[in-house]
Amino acid sequence: MTTEQNTEQNTHFGFKTVAEHEKAKKVAEVFHSVATKYDLMNDVMSAGMHRGWKRFTVEVSGVKAGDKVLDIAGGSGDLSKLFAGKVGSQGQVILTDINASMLSVGRDRMIDAGLNVPTLQCDAEKLPFPDNHFDCVIVAFGLRNMTHKDRALAEMQRVLKVGGRLLVLEFSKIWQPLSKIYDAYSFKLLPIMGKILAKDSESYQYLAESIRMHPDQETLKQMMIEAGLGKVDYYNLSAGAVALHKGYKL
Amino acid sequence: MLKPLITHFLQHLTTQNSWAKAHLTPFAGRTIAFDFAIIKTNLIVLEDGSLALGGETMPPDATVYATPSLMLRMLAKDDAAKMQFKITGDTHLATEIAKILQNIRWDIADDLSKVVGDIPATKLMELGQKTADQIKETSTNLAGMLSEYWQEEQPMIAKKRLVEQFNTDVDVLRNDVARLEKRLAKLTKEMMF
Repeated sequence: MTTEQNTEQNTHFGFKTVAEHEKAKKVAEVFHSVATKYDLMNDVMSAGMHRGWKRFTVEVSGVKAGDKVLDIAGGSGDLSKLFAGKVGSQGQVILTDINASMLSVGRDRMIDAGLNVPTLQCDAEKLPFPDNHFDCVIVAFGLRNMTHKDRALAEMQRVLKVGGRLLVLEFSKIWQPLSKIYDAYSFKLLPIMGKILAKDSESYQYLAESIRMHPDQETLKQMMIEAGLGKVDYYNLSAGAVALHKGYKL
Repeated sequence: MLKPLITHFLQHLTTQNSWAKAHLTPFAGRTIAFDFAIIKTNLIVLEDGSLALGGETMPPDATVYATPSLMLRMLAKDDAAKMQFKITGDTHLATEIAKILQNIRWDIADDLSKVVGDIPATKLMELGQKTADQIKETSTNLAGMLSEYWQEEQPMIAKKRLVEQFNTDVDVLRNDVARLEKRLAKLTKEMMF
């Protein structure tokens, strides 16, 4: 049994413990609040590095022309845009998010870029797609906010075709010697930047806390294996501040 | 940011050498490690037939071992060096990928032309090629001159002929010692009875 199953009634929201049914609502409030400034904050917080992490994700996905790709918690659509270029007119990318505010930002960006990317508001724990449907499923900086990560991973595995890949790009455990500097940055500087740029320090306090509560590289790898994925491996990016996990449906 | 950069370059190379994708696709999902003593790297073949750096934990399906001196010989296009590579694991995978990697070429002129235009790119490439040829020729002359000096004028390194003679002498000596050892053992045995 996983930790999440043990604590059936409660879960974590950053460092706080909340009832399971409240987490989704609270996460939704965070993203409603930051949606319009999301891209700007990403650029400022990561010094633009998030663009490199996302490009790397697309490059190691092995996605080719004609493939079907599902972008979960895709928000403002950075990855959908990159994947749309890879799959071409014969393929398909579907952008999904549980949060309507984030999804509308993403949908507008797809339209502005002239891309035919359907957008769909849905819960990653109950994906409205048939079994064995996608060549690649990607979740970038979204798994951390899901209430039942194990259920979400199992759903992602379900909708993958045999031989399909699940890619999870997420904050992770940084290289130990850098942890003190990283903590200072996350808990002191990040909320201040959030206050100045997005007029919302609490959401960025949550971001820092949720990163610390997220499983480390090896734990997430194990969770993916438990969800039925094989040949699971990961890449540490920026000294492990972010990790990209890749697993296959065998 | 080194991993994304190297992967980006590898993908760029496979896109430029599109013939390689068809050869690599059958090995999709397989990992090969190159262990050159001072540099170790894992490459994974992706589903679209391109290459990327391997992850942190996946054990390789095949490993190619080579010493740094062997790598230098490869760079100098010494074909005999290929025979001295050590391969473990899936040898078919390793030999096929090594073959493909040897034939992949980086079309620098094509990349340069996107930045400076076709004609300047061609001129720059010609200049680069001329400079590289000149450096190679000068280095070869210098090496030849120094080796001659250190062999004839200021003997510091042995001549190939003398080294070969020394090796033969050592072999003869080793055989003589082995024979003597056996003879002594035989005599000792006879004396005991």
